[in-house]
Amino acid sequence: MNNYKNYAQNYSIIDNDELLSVENLHFSWGENKVLNGINFTIPKNELVAVLGINGAGKSTMLKCVNRILKPEKGFIKLLNKDINDLNLVELAKNISYVPQSVLTQFSMDVFDVVLLGRRPHINWRVSENDREIVSNTLKFLKLEDFAFRSFNKLSGGERQRVIIAKAVAQDSKLLLMDEPTSDLDLKNQIVVMKNIKKLIREGKDKSAIIAIHDINIAARFADRILLLHQNELIGEGTPEEVLNEENIATVYGVSCVVEKRTEYESMRIIIKDEIKQKNKRKEEEE
Amino acid sequence: MESISEIHIKKSKFQILLILALSLVTLILAITSMGVGSSENLGFFSTFKIVLGIDQSNDIQSSIIWRIRLPRVIIAIVGGAALATAGALMQGSLGNPLVSPLTLGVASGAALGAALGIIIGFSISEPIGIIIDFLWNLILNIIIYPVNMISMAIFSVALDIPPIPFTGAETVIITNAFIFSLFVVFLIIKLGNYRSVSAESYILVGIAITFICGAIVSTMTYFASDSQLSQLTHWSFGSLARTSLIQSISISIIIILLMPNAMKWAWDLNSLSLGGDDFAISTGVDPIVTRKKILILSAFMTSIIISFTGLIGFLGLAAPHMSRLIVGNDYRKLIPCSAVFGSLLMLFADTLGRTLFAPIVIPVGIMLSIIGGPFFMYLLLQKRRKY
Ligand SMILES: Nc1ncnc2c1ncn2[C@@H]1O[C@H](COP(=O)(O)OP(=O)(O)O)[C@@H](O)[C@H]1O
Ligand SMILES: [Mg+2]
Repeated sequence: MNNYKNYAQNYSIIDNDELLSVENLHFSWGENKVLNGINFTIPKNELVAVLGINGAGKSTMLKCVNRILKPEKGFIKLLNKDINDLNLVELAKNISYVPQSVLTQFSMDVFDVVLLGRRPHINWRVSENDREIVSNTLKFLKLEDFAFRSFNKLSGGERQRVIIAKAVAQDSKLLLMDEPTSDLDLKNQIVVMKNIKKLIREGKDKSAIIAIHDINIAARFADRILLLHQNELIGEGTPEEVLNEENIATVYGVSCVVEKRTEYESMRIIIKDEIKQKNKRKEEEE
Repeated sequence: MESISEIHIKKSKFQILLILALSLVTLILAITSMGVGSSENLGFFSTFKIVLGIDQSNDIQSSIIWRIRLPRVIIAIVGGAALATAGALMQGSLGNPLVSPLTLGVASGAALGAALGIIIGFSISEPIGIIIDFLWNLILNIIIYPVNMISMAIFSVALDIPPIPFTGAETVIITNAFIFSLFVVFLIIKLGNYRSVSAESYILVGIAITFICGAIVSTMTYFASDSQLSQLTHWSFGSLARTSLIQSISISIIIILLMPNAMKWAWDLNSLSLGGDDFAISTGVDPIVTRKKILILSAFMTSIIISFTGLIGFLGLAAPHMSRLIVGNDYRKLIPCSAVFGSLLMLFADTLGRTLFAPIVIPVGIMLSIIGGPFFMYLLLQKRRKY
């Protein structure tokens, strides 16, 4: 199956496998060039992690894909259709988005927050089916006990899981998640990632793009990694291909040891120390 | 054990029941309010005997019931509902709990119009008075006819409603207030055409408009006579005594037509008020277009009511918040609850203002702030303590 996929990709015979394609994406915040000609495609049924330092442009890129931000240049196509040709409701049926954080003045019950994921699918009345989907999603993410608690009175990590539940209930093809595990405890990080993985595996042609800081979580769960550095994509491929010592040194400025994947464990990256050399050179220049 | 869905339905039903109960209380209060007042000619029970056609009324009694009390009760219900709804809509679409219908400057536009009418004697409607008069009488006849038919059928009396020329001295102020507040609504529409306009910009522009209009009004009061000053002060108190039956019925029809429009935005408001612009887009809501349309709708509702009643500000802030305490922030319930609660609050304040120190009538705007203010603070502090 995987071989076939690679074959199809390499020779681009079958476009059907492609969920999202981003071509020559440019974005600036005023003078500040953030994305400079980004190209990538997301196949169906893949969990893709976006890595990069703070300010690399991960959030900006996700927001462009969800049409929250308008790119300067470039095309973003979903199932071969330009996203600008879809109206927002159609877009929301196909793409759901988990922002980095949500804090509100006007809180609602967790159930009603997750129900907002059904907003693109309903006219005005909530159907029995929508309620079922919401309660199943809450169960899926182990949030049943929170169903009738006020969103604002949850901890940061609990809120994050509720917003993930909203995106899951939206039942879209493409999930965009902006650091969905940043506020989660160790166990919940793994549980949430496993659940997302499960969703991608079992869902019909679903994929996810997840901006994330923990490279080990990325290495363990992602099918593919996009590495953002200095406004450009400097690496794209499987975790083994992208997460090598050299790339990690370039992007994060730390030295590390990469342990290969074994039969029992996924690959592991052990961070050693920051690389001081660069700084020294800078000082010399000045 | 109940499933989560069942609990959700149950909770929903309970909230709807609460809203219905509030409506019932409002209805009872409205009926009671018809029966009480400062007149010695008309007791509580004789009012109902007359309304139900058991007793014949003399001219004074019928005039009090149809010309004074009924329009007042109608405008209390409709005005309260409209202002509270507008407040709820504005708070949600701007994501700010401090917003009230007065925030966008619609009311200060109305105040400017009123001041121009009272102090300078400027009437914006005079040049186009003939047209407005014609249209108004047309509307009037369209409304009077069915109302009289119904009244004939039920009470077998035709309502004695004389047509009122729209450009009469009394109505100059109302027309002025309305047209100047519409001008502010127009500014808001213009502002909304800029793609980059944020929720904060609306609020800041509203505050700027309020300051500008306030400055002009202050300048005019500097040159005003004592009687003009007192008239202007009375206008700004907020009172329900100025609306005629025809006016209050016309306003009701407009507001009733606009209400479903407000409900239409419930889901979008939920999304926008919960998570802000980015979150709204991710659920298929265009925050910029939605906010613009909602603000225009609520500014228009505010402008209609305020032109007739004068400045009633506190209701539009407090009624939505009190409703939030009752049914939460889900706009599918918050809008109807705010509307009903706004009516209830306005009726209560006005009835109290009419009866407390009868025959002296305290304007409803003052009553609302005096009773509503402490009650509002109590509720909010109470809520704080609980958690
Ligand atoms: N609203 C904004 N206005 C101006 N600059 C912004 C804004 N949001 C982000 N930026 C800038 O864009 C760059 C990329 O930001 P972001 O996409 O949030 O990075 P990441 O998510 O990878 O940490 C940063 O340099 C940041 O300062
Ligand atoms: Mg970010």
